[in-house]
Amino acid sequence: MLPLPLSPHHPTPLAPPAPGLTRNLLLGPLIALLLALAAGIAPAKAQQARTQEAREQDGSGTLLLRSESGAPVEAPRLKADAAITVSGPTARATITQAFRNTTAEWVEGTYLFPLPEDAAVDTMKLVVGDRVIVAEIREREAARRAYEAAKAEGKTAALTEQQRPNLFTNAVANIGPGETVLVQIEYQQPVRQSGGTYALRLPTVAAPRYSPAPTAVTAVVDGASAADPVPDRERIAAPVLDPARHAPVNPMTLSIDLKAGFPLGHVRSATHAIRVEERSGAERRITLADGATAADRDFELTWTAAAGAAPSVGLFRERVAGGEAVLAVVTPPASARPAASVPRDVVFVIDNSGSMGGASMRQAKASLLIGLDRLGAGDRFNVIRFDHSFDTLFPDLVPGDEAHLDRAKRFVAGLEASGGTEMLAPLRAALRDTTPEETGRLRQVVFLTDGAIGNEAQIFSAIAAERGRSRLFMVGIGSAPNGYLMRHAAELGRGSFTEIGTPDQVTERMRALLLKLESPAVTDLTATFSEPGVDTAPARLPDLYRGEPLALPARMEQARGTLTLAGRIGGQPWQTMLQLDTAEAGAGIGKLWARAKIAEAETARLTGRLSAEAADAAILRLALDHGLTTRLTSLVAVDATPRRPHGARLVSTELPLNLPAGWDFASVFGEGEAQPLPAPPRQRRAAGPAAQFAAAPPVVLPQTATDFEIRAWLGGLLLALGLGLSLRHRRAAA
Amino acid sequence: MSGVAERDAVARCPGRRGVTTLPALLLAATGLLLLAQAAWIPAKAALAQKLLEGAFARTLAEGTAQPPWPWADTVPVARIVFPSLGESYVALAGSSGQALAFGPGHVEGTPEAGEPGTAVYAAHRDTQFRSLGRLAAGDPIEVVRRDGRSVRFRVTGHRVVRWDASGLDPDAPGRHLVLATCWPLDAVTPGPERLLVRAVAEP
Repeated sequence: MLPLPLSPHHPTPLAPPAPGLTRNLLLGPLIALLLALAAGIAPAKAQQARTQEAREQDGSGTLLLRSESGAPVEAPRLKADAAITVSGPTARATITQAFRNTTAEWVEGTYLFPLPEDAAVDTMKLVVGDRVIVAEIREREAARRAYEAAKAEGKTAALTEQQRPNLFTNAVANIGPGETVLVQIEYQQPVRQSGGTYALRLPTVAAPRYSPAPTAVTAVVDGASAADPVPDRERIAAPVLDPARHAPVNPMTLSIDLKAGFPLGHVRSATHAIRVEERSGAERRITLADGATAADRDFELTWTAAAGAAPSVGLFRERVAGGEAVLAVVTPPASARPAASVPRDVVFVIDNSGSMGGASMRQAKASLLIGLDRLGAGDRFNVIRFDHSFDTLFPDLVPGDEAHLDRAKRFVAGLEASGGTEMLAPLRAALRDTTPEETGRLRQVVFLTDGAIGNEAQIFSAIAAERGRSRLFMVGIGSAPNGYLMRHAAELGRGSFTEIGTPDQVTERMRALLLKLESPAVTDLTATFSEPGVDTAPARLPDLYRGEPLALPARMEQARGTLTLAGRIGGQPWQTMLQLDTAEAGAGIGKLWARAKIAEAETARLTGRLSAEAADAAILRLALDHGLTTRLTSLVAVDATPRRPHGARLVSTELPLNLPAGWDFASVFGEGEAQPLPAPPRQRRAAGPAAQFAAAPPVVLPQTATDFEIRAWLGGLLLALGLGLSLRHRRAAA
Repeated sequence: MSGVAERDAVARCPGRRGVTTLPALLLAATGLLLLAQAAWIPAKAALAQKLLEGAFARTLAEGTAQPPWPWADTVPVARIVFPSLGESYVALAGSSGQALAFGPGHVEGTPEAGEPGTAVYAAHRDTQFRSLGRLAAGDPIEVVRRDGRSVRFRVTGHRVVRWDASGLDPDAPGRHLVLATCWPLDAVTPGPERLLVRAVAEP
């Protein structure tokens, strides 16, 4: 559970003054909190007890598990390998997870792991000894039932479930004492491209997420809809190891066969040390320089075309059942900037919740300061910071003059990471447009966060409903940002998504983003096929920013005729025509099309364009037709023969995860929930470098006085004065 | 004519009263607001202690740290008992302003009570640790830790120090306990001085 302090009351002498402008004087929120507390105590307690019970049943929550006899039982050890082949515009990945049971018990292990948000997971294999069992795609509930039945019968079984489009669990039942069981999943994913750079990203660790509690206050405000914003909060949480006390777990190896389809320029990774082996002009083999890495940060590989060899258009085709799948990748030309640039209103939103503690907070601050520096003369801006609460720096947009910028910079520099991540309210505040009639100005929201939240659906609905004329630019900060939230929020907000994974990417990527903010977008895009009966995903094309390509998967009977793309670049019309019969062969394009259709149906469901039933029916049909894991379908593999002897018990465990690199354990978890009991005798203040590095610092004592007596005296005095005054006047009047 | 004058006077009268009662109303309203805020601080401290007591009991029973309310960023770590005063408070991990609003906080960087070194707990002088002034040398202090162990300390003396020059060494030899709060106890404005009640573990 992530921290959420009730109400900051007294800044310690160490901490800078709370950024809240008038927080201490606001009685309203305090009363609301009291009401929420009073009303929330009973259900919250019940839920707490249930969680505990569930954890006891699983016997999990820590690396060591207590069994009934009291002897600790260890979770299975996990080793993973990723083998990825990039073929032009797509990549096919095979992730092999080896679950090794080091105990003398029969064990069930559950591993929560991330995948790219646009991955189409279509295959799972379970390897027990020399037997390979290929999983079937089933409806989620049916798959779960098959798994539970096999588990009870003592058969080895594996179940791959999607918890979020970028978050999955693998459960493996009946791993014998001392045995190793392999689970292999495969997926298809598109290669990303922006500004001439191609990128492949492989997340390796599920970052701990903050799941807002359903509150009594929400119930009052939203009427009857007091539904839990994160109904599956237990499924997206796993035990996390404190890096200060545990060596990293879950080692991972990686190899990539890169077949770019064009002569390659640079091939780099900003996140890991890699070894690049040149196979030919257009092919490379990439491995990790250190052999294995701890699964604690996203892996990112970027490549560019050799000078002059960059293709401006990519057109690919694949034969699929009942027709052909086509993928068109087109980058509209970057127009010269218009003479008079359009004035902008920019709202910067910065996440200073606990999960941002450490390197992420520094990256976010540096990025925001760069954004402030680039504001032009006619531009206006505002800054919002949020954790479990939020503050707006200025009451409304202010001109980007020196005085205001100075104040904003001081405000940003003073931010410290702590608390929960209540993203909804600050997002709404940023989208609130007080001057919707000023269409001559661009309204842009730049949102810096790691996206470590569980209530994505709430966020998406709010963006779709309240975006107005604002454009939302998501900036993903840190070593393991929530790509699904970022990319989808940017799509719904008609902006773009920028990832900043390491401190040395801040300058370069922020510059690219600012260029996008300042350059005119490609708008009113349409795609017209000369052939009838073409099914594209998405049906409505997004706006594009400078350097971004349009990637359009489509399905048709036969790839022939033409595709005409038309739009406006900064007001000027633009058009291009592609001959579909010139398309090259590509791999996995049919799956990408199906995955894009599913994503579109999920969006339509969230924004109310489709009813829940209609969307679910469409998703289920696509998923079963193409064998894809989705919210509604899972992959399940069951070994034929029961192996666990009758009477031998099965111990269930959740595999522990690393804390994402650069995260601060104390900022996220406080002093350890879900920690083994011999807890650390010492805790360090997260935001006190001086205290961290000094050898033997004398104890600094906190502020230990409240001002309630002053308030009481002052309050009494004012009340008496007021009453006296009115009394005198009444007498005078009488 | 006089009729008109009278009507004027009548008409003007309520207006004048409105103008003069407005500041009085504002004063009274602000006063009430401040009083309510003032009342909220000790009320919150008292309410939090009730919840913390429950969470600490669960911590002892379950053997794992239990947050006092679902969104809490801190957990109860110990119960501090003053047997001579008949008072007891549940202390929290950390001494941030947030934690101290609810109860005594275990100051970061100091060991747990009963471990070698100097364990420091701090609390507000106007809520939980108001009673520190009534502890005399020789009085017992009992600390129930979250692992269920109970350690008895005996008060050795008082000292007043500046917050940034406490002179407390968390790694000092022996098993010490220091309770800290703001000084002077009856002051109204926050100041730089702190009252330390020092105690040593009974063998």
